[in-house]
Amino acid sequence: MSGRLAVENVFAGYDRTDVLTDVSLVAEPGRITCILGSNGSGKSTLIRAILGLTPPRTGRIVFNGHDLAGRDTHQIIRAGIACIPEGRKVFSRLTVAENLRLGAYQAGNEVARERMARVYGIFPRLAERAGQFTGTMSGGEQAMVSIGRGLMAAPKLLLIDEPSLGLSPLFVKENFSVIRRIQELGITVLLVEQNVRQTLAIAHYGYVLMQGRVVASGTAAELVENEEVRQAYFGDGVRPA
Amino acid sequence: MDIGLAGQYVLNGLMLGIIYAMVAVGFTLFFGVLDIIKFSHGDVLTVGAFTALAAYAGVTALGLQSPWLILGVIALAAIAGTAVLGALIARFLIMPMRGAPPINVLLLTLMLGTALRESVRLFYPNGSNPKMFPRLLPGGAANFGRFTLRYDSVLIFVAGVAVIVGVSLLINRSKLGLAIRAVAQDAETARVMGIDLEAVVLFTFALGSALAALAGVMNGMYYSEINFNMGLLLGLIGFSAAIIGGLGNIYGAILGGFLFAALQTIGAVLLPVSSAYKDVFAFAAVIVLMAWRPTGLIAEKSSERV
Repeated sequence: MSGRLAVENVFAGYDRTDVLTDVSLVAEPGRITCILGSNGSGKSTLIRAILGLTPPRTGRIVFNGHDLAGRDTHQIIRAGIACIPEGRKVFSRLTVAENLRLGAYQAGNEVARERMARVYGIFPRLAERAGQFTGTMSGGEQAMVSIGRGLMAAPKLLLIDEPSLGLSPLFVKENFSVIRRIQELGITVLLVEQNVRQTLAIAHYGYVLMQGRVVASGTAAELVENEEVRQAYFGDGVRPA
Repeated sequence: MDIGLAGQYVLNGLMLGIIYAMVAVGFTLFFGVLDIIKFSHGDVLTVGAFTALAAYAGVTALGLQSPWLILGVIALAAIAGTAVLGALIARFLIMPMRGAPPINVLLLTLMLGTALRESVRLFYPNGSNPKMFPRLLPGGAANFGRFTLRYDSVLIFVAGVAVIVGVSLLINRSKLGLAIRAVAQDAETARVMGIDLEAVVLFTFALGSALAALAGVMNGMYYSEINFNMGLLLGLIGFSAAIIGGLGNIYGAILGGFLFAALQTIGAVLLPVSSAYKDVFAFAAVIVLMAWRPTGLIAEKSSERV
């Protein structure tokens, strides 16, 4: 199947300290799989490991049947993975159009132009602002640039890291409906979020990370009922470190 | 001052300015993509000039006659030689130092520069002495009173401007240039876009080094002489020019190059003593400028690079 990601027994971290310990999970093709967890639970390290920015110390990351071990980030992107990074990470001194072009960096000009037209169709605001420096735009508009840039790669798997961080509630809602539409395009989505309620409302399956380990997993409906999730996010339980 | 003499000074300043600008753009590119100061840049320029001279000996030995053809061949040899040298330096010395303290990279390139300089002196035949650089451009000049316009100077200047314009078009209009600017702003996000960071870095170092080689060849043609330590001063001037302009900014580097040449020229005119003190004057002025504007004339915003 196209766009299937399997993380198998991955240990990864920095300076010999493992942040991820024996993490295994699967993002099924065409589905939204979410990773829940509080700050410091290892969500970002997981994304970095998949992208090859923090290569796993041991374990396998298999995408579409190919082991990504030892591949450089640009080769992993070529395999069909794209990322909407945490904090948007737009190139603020580049224009909106340049940011979008970079999203399809490995594609030719012709293909990039077609995809850009499609992104402008989703976010007409970006078409109006095509020549504007991204750094001069509002947080919500920059989020559009970041999402649009992720779509420019026409990925099979899209990693979305904390899309609602720092956005107004209205925009968070908008964001989640965009993620839904991305999945409807047939793209596998791996969504990392702290916003549990809205995430579970759109996700098919989820994993809960705590201190670098998967402590719970299940369908969205199961996770809503899960004791650990309830304690950590909905209930009065003490938030894990 | 006589208007003709003033014109001569301005012309000389423009010639130096374009050469300095080409060196400064290299410094600013390297700093842009990797946040490093590459102190061996001036000596790469020397290697470029001597590569051209060696190629000249080669092609004349082969019996090549046409000065234009010879010029093309030796310029290409200098560009190719230093581009490869620059890429090798980036690949084997600078990339492995990523994550090391910047001061280590600075020291490494300082030592590398010395090694290159001394190698030219030791291994180039009779390398300790200044070398005649061949006159390959058409001689002749137009005279306007005390103002002499050498045709070869005009050609060198036009070539320099063309190269600078070409490089800024490459950086601002091409896909590769877009990748360079993206890497300069945020290398990690650039990698996530699918950019091969190492390839971009190697290309940038090859480009900057080739620019230095051209600056060295132009300098040789302008003064008809090169020597093994020419890169020392030219490197320092190029670095100063890049700093004045605001390190990381291409237009700033170009502006800085011309500004430094202007300072030297003003120094040469104003100082009653020998014009040998023009560098003292220019560097002193740069120190004052830096005290006034520590981040350069075109201040770099935290996110603004290349």
